[in-house]
Amino acid sequence: MKVTLNWLKDYVDFDIPADELAHRLTMAGLEVEAYYTVDYDFSGVFVGNIVEHQSIPGSDKLSLCKVNVNNELVQVVCGAPNARKGLKSAIALPGSKVGPLDIKTADIRGQHSEGMLCSEAELGLSNRAAGIMELPPDAKIGQPIESLFAESDVVFDIAITPNRPDCLSVIGIAREIAALGGARLHKPKIELSLNAEPVSDYIDVNILNADKCFRYSGRFLKDIKIQNSPYWMARRLYLVDVRAINNVVDITNYILMETGHPLHAFDYERLEGKKIIVRTAKEKEKFTTLDEKEHILTPEDLLICDAEKPVALAGVMGGFNSEVIDSTSSVFLESAYFEPVSISRTAKNLELSTESSRRFERGADPNGTLYAMDRAAMLMQQYADATVLENTIDVYPRNVEPMNLSLTVRNTNRILGTDLHREDLETILSSIEFTITAKNDGVSVSVPTFRPDVQREIDLIEEIARLYNYDRIPTNTNPQVDLTQKSNKSSELKDYIRSVLTGLGFWETINLSLVNPQIAKPFLPEKQQFVELLNPLNTELSVFRPNMLYSLMTSVSYSRNRQFQNLRFFQVGNVAWMSPENQITEMTQIAAVITGQRKTQTWYQKPEAFDFYDIKGALFSLFDKLGVTAVKLTEAKDSFWDSTSAALSLNGRQIGAVGKLDSQVCDLFSARQDVYGFYLQFEPLFKAREKEIVFTQIPKYPSVPFDLALLVDASVPIADLEEGIWEKGGEHLIKVDLFDFYRGQQIEKNMKSVAFSLTFSSKERTLQDEYVNQVIDSILSHLRDKFGATLRPR
Amino acid sequence: MADKNENSLKAIDQIRKEFEERIQTAGSTEELDAVHRDFLSKKGKISRLFGLIGKVSPEERPRVGARLNELRQHAQSLLDEKRSSFDKQAKPVEEFDPTLPGREFPFGAIHPMMQVMDEIKTIFAGMGFRIEEGPEIETDYHNFEALNIPEFHPSRAMQDTFYLPDKMVLRTHTSPVQIRTMESQKPPVRMIAPGRCFRRDTPDASHSPTFYQVEGLCVDKNVTFADLKGVVTAFAQKLFGEDIKVRFRPSFFPFTEPSAEYDFSCFCQGKGCAVCKGTGWLEISGAGMVDPAVFGFVGYDPKLYSGYAFGMGIERIAMLKYKINDIRIFYENDIRFLEQFKMVR
Ligand SMILES: [Zn+2]
Repeated sequence: MKVTLNWLKDYVDFDIPADELAHRLTMAGLEVEAYYTVDYDFSGVFVGNIVEHQSIPGSDKLSLCKVNVNNELVQVVCGAPNARKGLKSAIALPGSKVGPLDIKTADIRGQHSEGMLCSEAELGLSNRAAGIMELPPDAKIGQPIESLFAESDVVFDIAITPNRPDCLSVIGIAREIAALGGARLHKPKIELSLNAEPVSDYIDVNILNADKCFRYSGRFLKDIKIQNSPYWMARRLYLVDVRAINNVVDITNYILMETGHPLHAFDYERLEGKKIIVRTAKEKEKFTTLDEKEHILTPEDLLICDAEKPVALAGVMGGFNSEVIDSTSSVFLESAYFEPVSISRTAKNLELSTESSRRFERGADPNGTLYAMDRAAMLMQQYADATVLENTIDVYPRNVEPMNLSLTVRNTNRILGTDLHREDLETILSSIEFTITAKNDGVSVSVPTFRPDVQREIDLIEEIARLYNYDRIPTNTNPQVDLTQKSNKSSELKDYIRSVLTGLGFWETINLSLVNPQIAKPFLPEKQQFVELLNPLNTELSVFRPNMLYSLMTSVSYSRNRQFQNLRFFQVGNVAWMSPENQITEMTQIAAVITGQRKTQTWYQKPEAFDFYDIKGALFSLFDKLGVTAVKLTEAKDSFWDSTSAALSLNGRQIGAVGKLDSQVCDLFSARQDVYGFYLQFEPLFKAREKEIVFTQIPKYPSVPFDLALLVDASVPIADLEEGIWEKGGEHLIKVDLFDFYRGQQIEKNMKSVAFSLTFSSKERTLQDEYVNQVIDSILSHLRDKFGATLRPR
Repeated sequence: MADKNENSLKAIDQIRKEFEERIQTAGSTEELDAVHRDFLSKKGKISRLFGLIGKVSPEERPRVGARLNELRQHAQSLLDEKRSSFDKQAKPVEEFDPTLPGREFPFGAIHPMMQVMDEIKTIFAGMGFRIEEGPEIETDYHNFEALNIPEFHPSRAMQDTFYLPDKMVLRTHTSPVQIRTMESQKPPVRMIAPGRCFRRDTPDASHSPTFYQVEGLCVDKNVTFADLKGVVTAFAQKLFGEDIKVRFRPSFFPFTEPSAEYDFSCFCQGKGCAVCKGTGWLEISGAGMVDPAVFGFVGYDPKLYSGYAFGMGIERIAMLKYKINDIRIFYENDIRFLEQFKMVR
């Protein structure tokens, strides 16, 4: 909402510098986002009187004007349609500057031109560009324009919060300034000369849906002369970003800005049957608003109709069929109160937000209809020669009364932490025109109907806090604490995992959760569908990510496109998908990727590429740090993996997978090299983590190592051999490590050689060789029976 | 006969060339083993060349023999040289030079924005706030209605929301976590909800459709606006230093009453600079006393309990802290960006 300093001063006397005013308004909740001085430099632009006017032969538009400026006659070629003999206008003489134009003498169509007659738009005074500026007949010839018509002003751009419809008006903001500066608000007095004809001869109003239209007031005005609105009005509207159109429309807009109450002027001649009917639309009823757009309505939308047809979309926009035009001579002026939710629905459904709908949906003042309408009638009498009928229309089926509330001193201080007294409450609330009655424990308050946001005691407390000034409320540096608070283990574990992964050499990334379904398709779990937005920004960001690996791959892609080769990324975040029954699953996943080289070329090492065992190693180091021991590898099913991959299961449940990403998937992200990764569900890890650590006695007796080298069929998994060793390892086997693995020329083609280092230890004694040999024999015979493994000769 | 001699010498030269190529490209000891096997083992190409000696004329034999011996020696020495160069690479250097780079252990780092998030979590944990989490895909009820934001209320238009079928939304703030926490526990409540939020904003220098927030809530008997000012001020000073001042201004949020926006004093110490646009203040976020209507939704008695809530955008704070001017860089994960923050924790 924009307002100007001079406009505000029409309603309240104050002498506060602009920067101080901006600060005070901001500290009262009317955030001044910007303010700027509007100043003009029109040296060389004067009031001139056109004393001769003749058209230039061979030209439709151009005319030759002789302009009197200070008893000097200046000849000017002018293209404006309103240039005419006798008109006083603004003339820029050679050497002056008008906007970007440097004014010089020139020859146009063979005629000498010694300056330029200017429009308000050219001078930056209003948006009116259709003709040259029309100055009043009493404007003094030769006066500089800037001193006469371009007084400097300050525009404030204020962000009005949705709860303050009263401040979507200059008077509303002036009221706040009055409260802040201790001055009185003086609203303009209504002065009308009235015609005694009964309004019922012209119009009759019938409200069919009083639940959506609480009040409908109106005035009938005739003998109207449509012309430009006065310059001062066009300029003020221009400064607050409203386009000047004609006097009647400008006046309704001016009063809307002044009072905050939206008005609508109908071209009376185009209303049929002397009737206004307020009713809801029929299903699929069509209506064309004055911006010439056709809307298809529903019974939720409220219409203003004449005897035959809809003529306005209530509270939102007038109709094309009844707007005020140049030929309009009588006007029916509407000033109504429409129910906020109804207007909000219509504005939202039709995507049609207007100055009017913005105010009605936030809440206009139902008891402000008459004042706004009379102010507009007054200006129309003054600036459009309107004859105003004494009778008015005022149908008010749902009377809205000021709300009566009580506020206690105790509750005020209980919420604010202040030490305010009853007198403070009285002073503050009466400064904004609330009516106060003192009570024992506080005050009774009658809240004016222009403040629909104040409905409860807490709302009064807010008014107190706001006008008392938040700065003056104490800052309690010693608030109460709660010693029973427990920490959140799940959140802590996530942070721990992130910290372990950085320790393992991974860099944390954060990526958007919204992804491209075309590329993310392989990452969707089998038989599931994407969680798809109904209103995405674009198709590339239209579904929720189904797997954290997708996010990491986008970062791989970014880096590969910038020629970075060696990457280690991880991220903990949420993924989601939807079942065929539209059930949404959202879960936290941990994922990591590696690509490029495990070892880079340095003075001490040769480059070596990452492979599966690097990512697996990182993953199992993480499991180790989490105390998660029971993870098993099974066949991976996700379609984004290469065959070099494995699913991870914990207690029979799949919790993720590890492996090499399929080369076609890598192509989608232009990786151009192998990428390995893993993803894990967080929740099962949280459940499986080691809960308590209990110290185990360190053995007193030395442990006994034994190296076991085996020859076995190449197809037997290492994990199965290890399990076989544990099965027969007895109670004193404490450790099994694979320390060598060989396939190649030294042994048979379909065989492999594996060597385990076993460690035996006992709490009670030093283990003897006989014991160990006996266990080894039993392990060997077990492995032979189960896998055909034999001891490898040395 | 001379032809035959010529051919033998040609064959020797060719094998020599072949060998030299192989040795040049060999990149590992395993490959050197293979080169040895292919050329110098009993069945190797060089060894087999010796079989040619019998086929050349007797007078030429010494010359061809000498050529072959020379090749064998040359091959062996090239192989040894290459092998020892590999060994040198693998073994510690002989002469000690402390200025040679050490063998560093690889490390990663926490993303700069998450570092800020973690720091904020730590500060509030230290002030007795428990971390609470909730889903990113929320019900309309938790994200809006229970926060006193009814449908078709103008305040809904303050946030551009991503909608999903069945009255689900991507949460526009982490405030629904407050609702979920209050639904599941009785007062006192002291919590913060850090997390990812979504708004339908076209990405630009200051907007991202995904962003991070921390929201805090405290509900107890006798909790006041003065407490809110105290907690937010203490937080600001722990995060940015003891000199930071906090300013509260009236504002409007449907779930707080009275509502406030709070600003931190700018690092220019009020002189005015480009970051604060000359105002001396940095807008941070919103706060306020929990609206009794919200207590109504979760069954708390507003006559007995009062509370405050506050929020903050993590990107905004991280951008201020590190003087970053484009929000999108957080989501690009350029390693030249990430590496700048490796030393922080
Ligand atoms: Zn500054």
